[in-house]
Amino acid sequence: MGMGGLNTEAIPSQMSDLRVLACFKATPDFEALREADWATAAAGGVETRYVRRVLNCFDESALELALRLSETAARRGVRAELGALSVGGRDVEPYLKTLVALGYERATRVPPEAAGGESEVAGGESGLDFAPGVVASIIAAYAQRVAHSDLVVLGWRSGPGDSGTVPFRVAEALGWPCLTQVTEVEPLSDDRLRVACVADDGPLRLTLRGPCVLAVGNAVVSHLRVPTLKDRLARRHRPIEVLAAADLGVDIAAQRHRETCLPTGFETIDRSRRGVVIEGQSPHDKAQTLFDSRLRDIMETL
Amino acid sequence: MRFVVVLDGTVTTVARQARALAAFLRDGLGDASVELAGVTEGGRGELGGVTERGELAGETLVFYADDGDKRRLVDLAPTRDVRLVKTTARRPDLMVDDLLALGAGAHSTGPGTLGGEIALILTAGGATGAELATRLACRTGGAVLTDALSIEVGPRELRGRRTVYSSHLRGRFALTTRPWCVSIDASWNDGPRSPSLKPALEHYVLSDTDETGGAQATPFEDIELVAAPSTDDLAESRFLVVAGYGAGSREATKRIAQAARRMGAGFGASRPVVMNAWAPLDRLIGVSGTRTAPVLCIVVGASGAPALSWGIERAGFIVAINPDDHAPIVRDSDALLLDDGVAVIEELAEIVAAQREQGGAAPTA
Repeated sequence: MGMGGLNTEAIPSQMSDLRVLACFKATPDFEALREADWATAAAGGVETRYVRRVLNCFDESALELALRLSETAARRGVRAELGALSVGGRDVEPYLKTLVALGYERATRVPPEAAGGESEVAGGESGLDFAPGVVASIIAAYAQRVAHSDLVVLGWRSGPGDSGTVPFRVAEALGWPCLTQVTEVEPLSDDRLRVACVADDGPLRLTLRGPCVLAVGNAVVSHLRVPTLKDRLARRHRPIEVLAAADLGVDIAAQRHRETCLPTGFETIDRSRRGVVIEGQSPHDKAQTLFDSRLRDIMETL
Repeated sequence: MRFVVVLDGTVTTVARQARALAAFLRDGLGDASVELAGVTEGGRGELGGVTERGELAGETLVFYADDGDKRRLVDLAPTRDVRLVKTTARRPDLMVDDLLALGAGAHSTGPGTLGGEIALILTAGGATGAELATRLACRTGGAVLTDALSIEVGPRELRGRRTVYSSHLRGRFALTTRPWCVSIDASWNDGPRSPSLKPALEHYVLSDTDETGGAQATPFEDIELVAAPSTDDLAESRFLVVAGYGAGSREATKRIAQAARRMGAGFGASRPVVMNAWAPLDRLIGVSGTRTAPVLCIVVGASGAPALSWGIERAGFIVAINPDDHAPIVRDSDALLLDDGVAVIEELAEIVAAQREQGGAAPTA
C-alpha cells in the first residue's frame, strides 16, 4: 500500500489472530430522490422506502480496507479474522452474502427492532436512523461478547442521521481510543498497525498498538471489490447470522427511550439561484454568449 | 448553570477553533439564548451572561501540550476566565477524563474545579470537537449535538440544528439532559478573522493543572505529520472550475483541468471524480473536502449533490454546464448551459485566452 515510514521489524513466525469487525449501513440512495420528495420533508419526513439501497460510501471503504488489511496480514504471517456486522433489515443480507463470498468469515445482521416488532418490510426503515446511541450499543456489545474484536472498522458517518457519533460511542463503550478519517491501514504485527488518517490539523501516520475504533473517511480505496462467481458458489451455503439485539443484552426499546438528542423536525435547505439558461446553437455559441453577457464583467473584478 | 468553551491547544488549528467558537457565541445562538450571548443583559444571566465589562462570563478550558504555548493560548480564549490543562495531544479520550476531573459532569465545588453545574459545553468543529462532545455526553449522561449550525438555550432543553440526510435537509433537535455537549459545524470556521465579540482586555487564568502524569501505555506511537498538498489555492481561489462525475473519464477530467488552467482558474472536483482517481484527493470540494468561496465558479458535469453544493454555496456567481436539465445543479446555479461540459469549457477557455491576448480581462485565481 506504499505506506511511508514503515518500520521493518520481526514478525512473529507463528500464526496469530487479529480479529477485525467491519460495520456497515445500507442507506437509501438520496441522490435518487426528486426535488419534490425533499420538499415534503418539512411537513413530516422523507419517504425513502421505495428508493434503492446503497452502501454508505464510507462503510464501503471500511469493508474493502478490512479485506486488504487481512490480505497484507496474511503475507506477514498474521491471521486476520474478518467479521461483518450491520444493524439493518433483510435488505442488508445481499451485502452480507457478498462479504462472505469475499472472505469475511462471519456475517451478522442485527434487526433494528425488538423481537416481535421487527418491521421487515422491503427496504425496511431501520427506525434507528436517529438513534446513534442504540446502534453503537449493539455494535459494542457484538464486538465485545460475540466477535471478541481487536479492531472495529466503520465509516465515520452515515445518513440519514449523520450524527457522526457512532464510532466515538462505540469506542467509549469499549473503553478504546478512536481514530477518525482513517485512509489507510497496514498491519505490522498481530498487535501493531500503521494507520494513515486525516486529523483536524492535517494528514498523519501513526503506529497503533492495541484495540481501537477506526472511523474511515476519504480513503483512496473507495469501492468494495466484486466477488468472482467461483467465490460466490464456493461460499454460498455459509449462513448469514441473524442475532436479536436482546441476545446481545441490548434492549432497543429501552435504549431508544434513553436517547437524549431527539429529532423534532426537518427543514429544506434553499440553495436556489436564478438559473438563467444560456442558449446557443453550438458549444462555441453558448460559451461566447455566456462570456459576453456575464463573465466578461465578472472577470474584470477578479 | 454555567457554560464552558473547550479549545484543543495541542494542535495548530487552535486559533481557527477560537475564532469559530467566538463567531458561534456571537451569531449561532438563537434569540431565546440571549442570556448566554449577553446581547441584552448587562449582568450575569442564567448561564453566566456577561461581566460588567461586557465580556462573556463563561469559562474557556484550554488543553495544551507545551508550556511555551500557554500565554498565546490564553489570549485566544473567547471568555475572560480561562482554565489551562496540560494533557496528551491527540487523545480526546483522555481529555474527557481531564474535563471530568475538573467537574464538568457533576455539580462541583472547591478550588480547581469548574464550580457549579455546567449546563453547556461547547467544542470546536472537526473530529476532535465531535469526539470530545460525544464522549463527554456518554460519560456524564448528558446529551450531544454534533456539527451544530445554531442552538437555542432554554431553561430545560437545548434546541439546535444540524444538517441531515447527507446535507439534503436541516434537522431540528432537542437535547434533553445536561450537560448539553455541543460541537459546532465546520462552516463556522469561515467566520470573520476578528470577531466583533468584545475582546477581553485581560484574561484571568483560574487554574492550570498538569494531567500528563500517571503514565500509561500509549496506543499511538511514531506519530508523523504528513506534508499534504496545500488546498489553500482552492479555499482562497476567486475563480474556480469544478469537474463532476458527468465528465465521464479521467481523460475528460484532465481536459477540464487544462481548460481551467488556461483561464487562470483554480481546479477542483466532486467526490465521485476523486474517488475514481480522475483527480487527486486534495482537489476534493465539498463536505469532506474544501469549502470554497470564489467570485466565479463554473461547475462542469456535476449533478449538484448537496455534499458538493456545501463546498461552493458561498460562490458569488455559479455557472453550471450540464446536459441534464433535471439535475439539482440547475436550480442552484446563476447561469446554466445545457450541453456537454468538456466541449463548452474548452470553447470558453479559448475565448478567455483570446480575450487575454487582446489585453482584456485576465483573471488570476
